[in-house]
Amino acid sequence: MDGPITPQAAERRRPPVIQPGQTYATVTDKISSIVLVRPTTPGWLAGFLVSFALVMLLFYAIAYLLVAGVGIWGVNIPVGWGFAIVNFVWWIGIGHAGTLISAILLLLNQQWRTSINRFAEAMTLFAVACAGLFPLLHLGRPWFFYWLLPYPNAMGVWPQFRSPLVWDVFAVTTYFTVSLIFWFVGLIPDLATLRDRAKKRSSRILYGILAMGWRGSALHWHRYQTAYLLLAGLATPLVVSVHTVVSFDFAVGILPGWHSTIFPPYFVAGAIYSGFAMVLTLAIPLRAVYGLEGFITMRHLENMAKVMLATGWIVAYGYVMENFMAWYSGNTYEGFTAWNRIAGPYGPAYWALILCNVLLPQLLWLKRVRTSVPALFVLALVINVGMWLERFVIVITSLHRDFLPSSWGMYSPTRWDWATLFGSIGLFVALLFLFIRFLPMISIFEMRELVSESPAGD
Amino acid sequence: MNKAAAYLPGSEIQRVQSGAVWVGISGFSLCLLGAYWNRVQFFHSYLFAFLFWTGIALGCLAIMMLHHLTAGAWGMVIRRLLESGSKTLALMAFLFVPLIFGLRSIYSWTQPIQLPSQQLEYLNIPFFIARAALYFLIWLWIVYLLGRWSQEQERGEGSRLLRKMRLLSGPGLVLYGLTASFAAIDWIMSLEPHWYSTIFGLLVIGGQVLSAMAFVIVALVLLAARQPLVGIVQPRHFHDLGKLLLAFVMIWAYLAFSQLLIIWSGNLTEEIPWYLHRWQGGWLWIGILLIVFHFALPFFLLLSRDLKRSGKTLAILAMFLLLMRAMDLFWLVVPGFSPERFRIHWMDVAASIGVGGLWLAFFIWQLKKRSLLPVGDPQLPPALERTHE
Repeated sequence: MDGPITPQAAERRRPPVIQPGQTYATVTDKISSIVLVRPTTPGWLAGFLVSFALVMLLFYAIAYLLVAGVGIWGVNIPVGWGFAIVNFVWWIGIGHAGTLISAILLLLNQQWRTSINRFAEAMTLFAVACAGLFPLLHLGRPWFFYWLLPYPNAMGVWPQFRSPLVWDVFAVTTYFTVSLIFWFVGLIPDLATLRDRAKKRSSRILYGILAMGWRGSALHWHRYQTAYLLLAGLATPLVVSVHTVVSFDFAVGILPGWHSTIFPPYFVAGAIYSGFAMVLTLAIPLRAVYGLEGFITMRHLENMAKVMLATGWIVAYGYVMENFMAWYSGNTYEGFTAWNRIAGPYGPAYWALILCNVLLPQLLWLKRVRTSVPALFVLALVINVGMWLERFVIVITSLHRDFLPSSWGMYSPTRWDWATLFGSIGLFVALLFLFIRFLPMISIFEMRELVSESPAGD
Repeated sequence: MNKAAAYLPGSEIQRVQSGAVWVGISGFSLCLLGAYWNRVQFFHSYLFAFLFWTGIALGCLAIMMLHHLTAGAWGMVIRRLLESGSKTLALMAFLFVPLIFGLRSIYSWTQPIQLPSQQLEYLNIPFFIARAALYFLIWLWIVYLLGRWSQEQERGEGSRLLRKMRLLSGPGLVLYGLTASFAAIDWIMSLEPHWYSTIFGLLVIGGQVLSAMAFVIVALVLLAARQPLVGIVQPRHFHDLGKLLLAFVMIWAYLAFSQLLIIWSGNLTEEIPWYLHRWQGGWLWIGILLIVFHFALPFFLLLSRDLKRSGKTLAILAMFLLLMRAMDLFWLVVPGFSPERFRIHWMDVAASIGVGGLWLAFFIWQLKKRSLLPVGDPQLPPALERTHE
């Protein structure tokens, strides 16, 4: 909340959001040259090829799934929800940090968001795209996906509006649409910069079309700012609503381990937690490879670490309350489910998740860790894994012990489950590679604004 | 140092304090009189009053730590109010003592009723008192340390102490979150011992923070219109406080709605009775009033920029929200004693006013001891700078 009200005197005490010595020209040159001047490097090519190979694996897994059906996955009664739902929740959670950074921090006037919002938004889009794949594939007959939508049809069949799975369809499609528009609108002035600076005719035409006739007149800027603020206002409730609806997928049912009132706030906090971990996972290599330390400063990394610490504690609070209530309630089923998570056949996954999500992140209390780039990178990876494990534990352990012991079962993922998971990671990374090659990964015009406002920039 | 003296509250505050003491004593005397005829009702009313005012004190503590962590200008103008508000926890620890003598009149688990064995391990009088003592110890310890450092700030070394306060506030908020949740479970949730809800602690915390914010806004607006604060608190400060008030209203509504939707849709015999108790016999109307006046109306009003920037209108709304907070707490607590049948007793009002009078007197006693603004804090001058908007 310090942005609008703490004047520059207080601002000067802190590490800068932009390194001293940057001017309008250096900002524009530095960021746009990554796209326009810098040749395609072997490193980029190698990275893209590896991730593209994984995309091919994903396509292969999907093709075989369409031919053979969901039986190729490890799901079976009693565990009818397997990797597909785990991955869906994981990916959609990762997207949340992008929206939080771009919308909420914008409304709160937090200037440090400027250099990370563009690629965080891109990350949101790609993560939601990966997330959307899984429920579609899990339908069994994905080509009938439109049955999920309410439309008057010859069969006279309507979706069950009381089912949170239907709310999910609306929540996720709205989320994707708003994120896409928000991202694109934010890009328009920068696309115009690229258009004006491009040397090749083909790039001029391409960026020219995308810039939608932007001329940078006062009127354009005025309308632009109004539109951008309105979109930020629209996107803000989505940070909370989407993962709340995802949590309802579980909590609205009556299964022990799923039916818990803490789920909505705890899922939202978990989403932001994993999202910020993913932003760090991406930001740290990007700033090293492209020399962006002047724009993505230690202050950004430290602030993100603090957000992770805070949201991590809300998640830990969720674990405490779930286990306490399972014990306190004296409810046999609740108690069994909690105990089975801790000491049952999937116990190691539970303890690994506690290690990754609760114990190791406590290192973030230390400033030394928050300002050490390698330590942050490792912790971000650990939290990514931890949040995936959390969803695994929630989905699988609640299902695999049915109310009747005769219906108990175990779930083990098949190679197709793994291929789809790693394939989706490949898709995500490949899209990011294309993004940093063809679009400015940091908002050029917002950084220029920062230069004009920061005392060090004059 | 003379700067600190310049911000000392005016003499008017003395009169308010004496008034509060008298209101407190008369409220208490009336209740004691009532207790003579109806001991059980006295304890029920007293519990409600205790929870309401403790909630404001705890909310002040939470917002204060949040402010130390985020260091916004909004917190500088209410810092002393938050400090004085959280120091009233010492009074509330003392006022907890009468409850100990009424536990058998309040909590059904003190009687031999059918309960799962785990609950008997948790809900028994010695453990209940020990836990309450632990909560108060933790809270008072945090309040003491932050208060001492804040006092030392006036003797220079502002930035070093700022760092100390920030370092304590992180773990302090974690401790507050856990202790306040378990206090909510002990003091409110266990009124209906068969019922449990994992979000309940957060819901009560959300209410405490909202109550404290509303109280602090009312107090700030009253003080800002008088010397020495005339012309110092600016519309932008009210604007930020108003935004936070809106955020807390939304958080409360979000948590309350989440709990309702999940329990309603599950419709399990373990859970739904809690809502059924609040669904019938007049309680439903309170619930509907809460939706309209605790959420919808303040939500739409607080969207207005003009309303937030004018201290007067913001204070009126905050006062109204404080009343709604009392109504919400009443709806959480009293159906535990009187399920499916709305009732309000004159002692509910008298006890709230009695405890409230003493609480306010204690609050003012703390407030008038020091300057109304944290003059030793290096963040104060930038927070009071006039900016062009």
